[in-house]
This record gives sequence, structure tokens and C-alpha cells, in this order.
Amino acid sequence: MKIFLATLALLSGAAAAGTIEMKVHGLVCAFCAQGIEKTLRKNPATDDVVISLEHKLVAIGTKAGTDITDAELQKALTDAGYDVKGITRTERSLAEIRASLGAK
Amino acid sequence: MNSFRGVIACAVMLSPAALSAKPIAYAQGTTVMVEHGADTMNEVQVFYAPRYDWSFGAGYLEIDGLAGREREIVYARANYLAKRWNSEDAQANVFIWGGAGGASANQGSGLTSWNAGGQVDYETRRVYSSIKTDLHRSSAFTHRIDTLQLGIAPYEHDYDTLATWLVVQGRNYTGGIHEGVEWAVLLRLFKGSAWIEAGATTDGKLQAMAMLNF
Repeated sequence: MKIFLATLALLSGAAAAGTIEMKVHGLVCAFCAQGIEKTLRKNPATDDVVISLEHKLVAIGTKAGTDITDAELQKALTDAGYDVKGITRTERSLAEIRASLGAK
Repeated sequence: MNSFRGVIACAVMLSPAALSAKPIAYAQGTTVMVEHGADTMNEVQVFYAPRYDWSFGAGYLEIDGLAGREREIVYARANYLAKRWNSEDAQANVFIWGGAGGASANQGSGLTSWNAGGQVDYETRRVYSSIKTDLHRSSAFTHRIDTLQLGIAPYEHDYDTLATWLVVQGRNYTGGIHEGVEWAVLLRLFKGSAWIEAGATTDGKLQAMAMLNF
């Protein structure tokens, strides 16, 4: 039983979905920032995206067992016309981020 | 005329400058714009952006001058984002464009026409300013449309909320199309990929624009 639980914990850890938070400059217009979401959603590792102009934040939930490299993130935001000032991988879920932002 | 130039000069000096609708949305994005300019001009534009810093597409412009319908222009155009500044709380852009097409005018049809222009904008979540100049030239006519927009938002919108702006627009036509500066007050709303603005000029004519990105 202990081996089963340990294996389960190991597998769930390896396959856990991740959250990436990016500090972005230039986020002042929601109409223009649509390109960020569209660009990030094209990445097969992206599960969901949250954007906050108030917090200059772009957060990405990645699918279980996947990640997006910093270089890919930088390119995606540059292609959308914005500057990335910081990338952090966090323990917060996207739901928690949404709740803290009051976003949908 | 001189006062309008003065207002434009002041706006440029007071802000890093401005734009209304951006001719480039984002990489692999398409922008469709339709504008009715106070019974003086109507314009439709469609642009596709392969990259975030340039787009290409086509437009149709009709001008109703002092003597009725004066000219119709169909053009192909390329837009280039020459410079963008992204700061924590603001964004500013410089766009330039150029193109060519065909035109018909009171003086003749089947004309080859040329188009060049530029736009500068500066915006925060509460303040907006833009200045744009758009030149069309053929063997039969030359005109330029200069547009200044200054806007203020009563509240700071966010990504998922409706944005509301109150905008004052000043527009000057050269080439004998319109006498004096056309001033208008506009209500601008946008949410998601849809943008609409409408208002009236000081002589009560409708000024409206709609834009869609996809």
C-alpha cells in the first residue's frame, strides 16, 4: 500500500500542471493585449491564460507534464508587441491567481 | 489652420505622441476598420500582420468635398511599426506607411495614386493621445488628412472589462476638401476584439469608427 501511494504521489508530481507568471510592460490597452492571449494559446503546452492590466501580469497555466521555455515566452510576448520584465514559475494555481485579481 | 497646427504641436510636445486605431494588431492578426468621417470621408481598411511590426492590406477611401463626391481611391498599403516604447504604465508607438492604388476624381478616372502617412500615439490606462497624417496624391489631386485625438478614461479598464473613453478629435483636410478644422467629441468603447466609437462634430454630423481584430 505504501509503495502504491508513493508511486501515485511520484506520478502526480511528475505530471502536475504548472503556472508561469510574467511581469509585462506596455499593458495599458485590453484591445491591443488580445494578441498576447491569442499567441500564447497557440502553444500546445498552454492550458489557460490570465491577463491583468492592473497588475501588469500575464499568467499561464500549462498542461500536466509540459512547460514553456523562457525563450518561447519571450518570443511570444515580443511577437505580441510587449516587453517581458520577469518570468516566475509559481505554486499558485491559475484559479488562485484569478481569485486574487478578481478576474474572470 | 494655424491654431490647429499649434494644438498638434502642443500635443506632440506634451506627450511622446499618439494614435487612434493601430494599423498593426499583433503577429498573425487581422485588423478590419471602417470609418465614417462627418459626411466628408468614408474609409474601409483591412490589414494582416505577419509580424508584430509590419502589416499589409488594402483600403478604400471616398471623399465628399465642398462640391459633392470628389474622389474615390482604392489602395494597397504596407504599415511599419518604426518604434515602440513599453513602460510599466504606458505605451507609445510610431507607425509609418506607404502604398499605391487607383483613383477616380472629378478631374478624371483611371488615375494612379500614391499614399503615405504616419501616426504617433501615447497612452496610459487613463490618458490617450494620437496624431496621424495621411497623404494621397495623384496626377489630378493631392490631399492630406491630419487627425488629432486626445482622450481621457473615466475609470481604468482591465483585460476583461469594458473600456470607456471620451475623446476629442480635430481633423484638418488639405486640398480644398473642407474649410476649417472639423472638431468632434466621441465616445469610445471596446471590449475583447471589438472597438466602436461614435460622436458628432460641432456642426452636428456623425463621426464614427468600428474596428475588429482577429
